[in-house]
Amino acid sequence: MTAGQQLIDAYIREVAAALPGSRRARHDVLTELKDGLLDAASNYQCNGRPASAAAQAAIGEFGDARQVAAAYRPELAVIHARRIAFSFLASVPLVGFWWVLAAASSDLGERPAPPWQWQGLTPGSQLAVHLAACASLIAVVTALVTVFATGRIIRWLPISPRVTTTTAAMASLAAGAADLGIVTLVISQILSAPSALDPGPVTFAAMASLARITFSRRAAQRCLTAGAALA
Amino acid sequence: MRAETLKGHLDGLLLASLERGPRHGYAIMEALRADSGGQFDLPTGTIYPALRRLERADLVRGTWSMAGGRRRRVYRLTPAGRRMLAAERGSWRQFSAAVTAVLTPLSWEVTS
Repeated sequence: MTAGQQLIDAYIREVAAALPGSRRARHDVLTELKDGLLDAASNYQCNGRPASAAAQAAIGEFGDARQVAAAYRPELAVIHARRIAFSFLASVPLVGFWWVLAAASSDLGERPAPPWQWQGLTPGSQLAVHLAACASLIAVVTALVTVFATGRIIRWLPISPRVTTTTAAMASLAAGAADLGIVTLVISQILSAPSALDPGPVTFAAMASLARITFSRRAAQRCLTAGAALA
Repeated sequence: MRAETLKGHLDGLLLASLERGPRHGYAIMEALRADSGGQFDLPTGTIYPALRRLERADLVRGTWSMAGGRRRRVYRLTPAGRRMLAAERGSWRQFSAAVTAVLTPLSWEVTS
């Protein structure tokens, strides 16, 4: 590796260290940045500069690594928020399917009856059902708001990236709360009347929800951190 | 010219630089520099995030290709980008005509 390339790689590493977001988004950004730097260095070399001076000039042209990373930060935060929102929207039918199947195959009361009308549910369990339903609704609405606010609307309405990281974090937390509510409900059901539940679908549904709880906690944390870094 | 001076006009300039055909990020910067007679000398690293924002707004479309053994992102204008560029041009003409009218020194009529 030439001295020029080493300088460029060191610069890319410096930018990378200050970039938030997913590995893939960062990888794309850094690949494009490096391609531009190599073009610029090649231009300087064609004008007679030695390789290392050409790389130094290219780096100078691109600007301070921290400044470049700071310019990327809002866009990467928005990309991250959008991705999180899409993930939650995609998870709704997947997780929902297993819970509907679990409810349908378990003996939870007279059917057809919506969950909040199931006979034999304790007041605590009914509250958990209501909270889970509200949280699911909040998760879907905030995820849709995030997708909308990070799309084409920015042509006409520049929406602050901090707003989108906040709505994405809200979607994550609400989805996590919905799953937590329903898993709590299942645990209480197992403790009070385990034979009422169909173990197969309930296990799959609970695993899907537990996976989403883990993902939502990390997603919310990342969104809030990315948003705070924009302040 | 400082980056702050171009604030609010960067999107229009980037769209205009793609009007003549698809370009990659560094070629866009070079075109801006050449077309402005060297006046627009922004830190090149800050052009790329602006291109990503325009892409999210569906005003430009970026695709990866291979050039000289390297992955390269090439941007082209979308139909919405062309419409936005036309609108930017119109509002710029209006704005610059108004500023010129205000800043042009008055020629006083000499009366005896």
